[in-house]
Amino acid sequence: MKTDFCEILQKLNSNNGSMLCVVTMCRAVPINDLIYRASQQSDKLHALSTMLTQELVCTYRVHACHTSSLQTPTDKEQALQVSESDLLSLARSLLQAWSDPLVVLSSSTNVLPYSAQSTLSKTIQKMQEHSKDLKDGLDILSSKMGPAAQTITSLPFIETNEIGQDKITKLLSCFRRDSHKIDSFLKVLRCRAANMQPQMC
Amino acid sequence: SRSSHLHVFLTLFIVIISKKWTKIPKHVPEQKPHFTECISRNQETFRCWWSPGSFHNLSSPGALRVFYLKKEPPTSQWKECPEYIHSNRECFFDAHHTSIWITYCVQLRTQNNITYFNEDDCFSVENIVRPDPPVSLNWTLMTISPSRINYDVMVNWESPPTADVRLGWMRLEYELQYRDRNTTNWEAVRLVVIIIMMSSVSFCFLESPVHLTLVFVFGTVGILILIMLIVISQQNRLMIFLLPPVPAPKIKGIDSELLKKGKLDELNFMLSSGGMDGLPIYAPDFYQDEPWVELMEVNETEDVDSGEKEDNRGSDTQKLLGQSQPVSQHINISCSNSISGPDAESAQATCYNTDLPEEETLMLMATLLPGQPDEEETSLDTVERSSASETDERQLIQTQTRGPQTWVNTDFYAQVSNVMPSGGVVLSPGQQLRIQESISAAEKETKKKRKESEDSEESEERKQKEPQFQLLVVDPEGSAYSTESSIQQISTPPPSSPMPGEGYHIIHPQPVEPRPAATTEVNQSPYILPDSPQFFAPVADYTVVQDLDSHHSLLLNLPSHQTPPPCLPQHPLKTPMPVGYITPDLLGNLSQ
Repeated sequence: MKTDFCEILQKLNSNNGSMLCVVTMCRAVPINDLIYRASQQSDKLHALSTMLTQELVCTYRVHACHTSSLQTPTDKEQALQVSESDLLSLARSLLQAWSDPLVVLSSSTNVLPYSAQSTLSKTIQKMQEHSKDLKDGLDILSSKMGPAAQTITSLPFIETNEIGQDKITKLLSCFRRDSHKIDSFLKVLRCRAANMQPQMC
Repeated sequence: SRSSHLHVFLTLFIVIISKKWTKIPKHVPEQKPHFTECISRNQETFRCWWSPGSFHNLSSPGALRVFYLKKEPPTSQWKECPEYIHSNRECFFDAHHTSIWITYCVQLRTQNNITYFNEDDCFSVENIVRPDPPVSLNWTLMTISPSRINYDVMVNWESPPTADVRLGWMRLEYELQYRDRNTTNWEAVRLVVIIIMMSSVSFCFLESPVHLTLVFVFGTVGILILIMLIVISQQNRLMIFLLPPVPAPKIKGIDSELLKKGKLDELNFMLSSGGMDGLPIYAPDFYQDEPWVELMEVNETEDVDSGEKEDNRGSDTQKLLGQSQPVSQHINISCSNSISGPDAESAQATCYNTDLPEEETLMLMATLLPGQPDEEETSLDTVERSSASETDERQLIQTQTRGPQTWVNTDFYAQVSNVMPSGGVVLSPGQQLRIQESISAAEKETKKKRKESEDSEESEERKQKEPQFQLLVVDPEGSAYSTESSIQQISTPPPSSPMPGEGYHIIHPQPVEPRPAATTEVNQSPYILPDSPQFFAPVADYTVVQDLDSHHSLLLNLPSHQTPPPCLPQHPLKTPMPVGYITPDLLGNLSQ
């Protein structure tokens, strides 16, 4: 497990793009830093999805996403009352639930006009990479936080009957919401973990 | 919180635009009551504003009612606005009524239950968040540059109180903008946030074990030592590689010792007459291995009869040799041009012109490059080569000082007046001579040396002389030494002669007309035959080195017209041509 830290660390670092941390032997990474980096990743993920949605989704549509069955806090008070492990579990569940739909999304780009296809493809690919890195980092983090954090609720993705652009629009909107959830949970987690270091919050 | 960015505006002026929410109805003549905007400041509450549109009768408070729908299972019912602010036509949703990640829809109803609603009036609260601007914006002047142009200013601010950044519920990014007082455009400052990164960086470094660092250090030291050892052991080779030695002067058949100071007599002897075993330099073979030297055979006797020859009397060579007689007089000079191998020297010997006055005409033509002020120095740089010719030149000069007789042997120089940047050399009968670079690598050297010393002295003289440029540009590339025939083409300065600055014209050797005169063949000759008198107008001559002054600079004076005319074209081989530079020490020997 220890060696995994470094790989995750380097992955997270490399995605930050600002540091070159060559560490061949690591000591245990403090949780705070892991959470910090994870929240940075989730922030990037949400920013990408927002950008994509604003470009390709013209109006807001009400959608029932495949992750709607997951019970998550819906306001600040509720969110602040959720335990760290649960927050982490929720984030991981949501993240896991989107690994397949992102693949579906990337393969559905051909229904869009050509000009939008490349934007969509590239952004989706980036989102997938961020998702993967975040997932790995959260896996490490959860292993340090007890069994409750290890629980992942399965949210299977069942392709509905939408076709073409509707499908893409729905998926993008849903993913924007869920990426915001993940980001919010991790940010709350980050500030909670940084009680001794306010600058980390 | 310490986020990497926060959007900050320096003015209190905040544009509140909800990009997503603003529903601007189409421009229909009749505008129905509609919602103008819904915004959340803190992601905990939100507000909606509406407008009656063109229905002014509905503008009174209470005429329009707001209903909302929260798409939250299990219930989905339209509920009325929890809190009206009629003065603003605003509906406020407090924290209790606000949920995020849930879809809201709002609609307007009249008292009569006429509903104004469309699908676009649905949103999710996290998508309509527009934070308040930061507060307590302040700045502090830190340093001022001495030029008072650059200032260091520290700007600080605080996050808006409405946004709960402390608990991480909202994470704000700031952008600092500034503008000049006179302008209206705001420019953004790129905030380089290093602090966050630094903590992570330190984390990384601290994590690496100590022995890694030691490995790096020792490895670097070891490599350095290895490099030092290599350098020291291969010092000689390195030095040769980096600073190649300058080739020593080399003349076939001549011991390089002779070229050193004080041995000019012997060298002269070898060059001029004697040692058959001495200088094969006059043999055509000598130059075989030096591609830049091409010998041109000149049949002097034939030239005599050429009418063209009569055109330009007073060729350089003639004058150099102090012969002011016309060409016909040259005929008296029994020069035979039949140069062939070992006979060269004998032929040369027969060319002594007894009519030549005693006057010395040191035609430092090549050597005495009347370095023109605007001469390109770069050309000079490439010169440091054929020291052979250089030494030959010296010998020539020396020989010349001995008297016109010896000069005869060396009479067909053209005076190099300038060197073209492309490497061509301009020769002229007068003061402007250019020597082809490849021929006269050494010339340039001397040129360079002389230039400084003689510029002042010669420049005036040169300037006085008319630039009658007979360009003899030797094409450096090929064997394009101008031959006599080509030289002959230039009886007068070509009409397209260049500006005064450059007095030369490129001539490519072509057998234009058969030259009955001085040249028997249109051979390529590396040496320009200045002694083709025909094309040199009787203009001023070469500058003659008169003496050396105390600073070893050459004192020149205008040659008189009594300079003995050069012997008609002899085998150019006879005169190790083009250029020998006279070094001050050589001159010192000469003048002795």
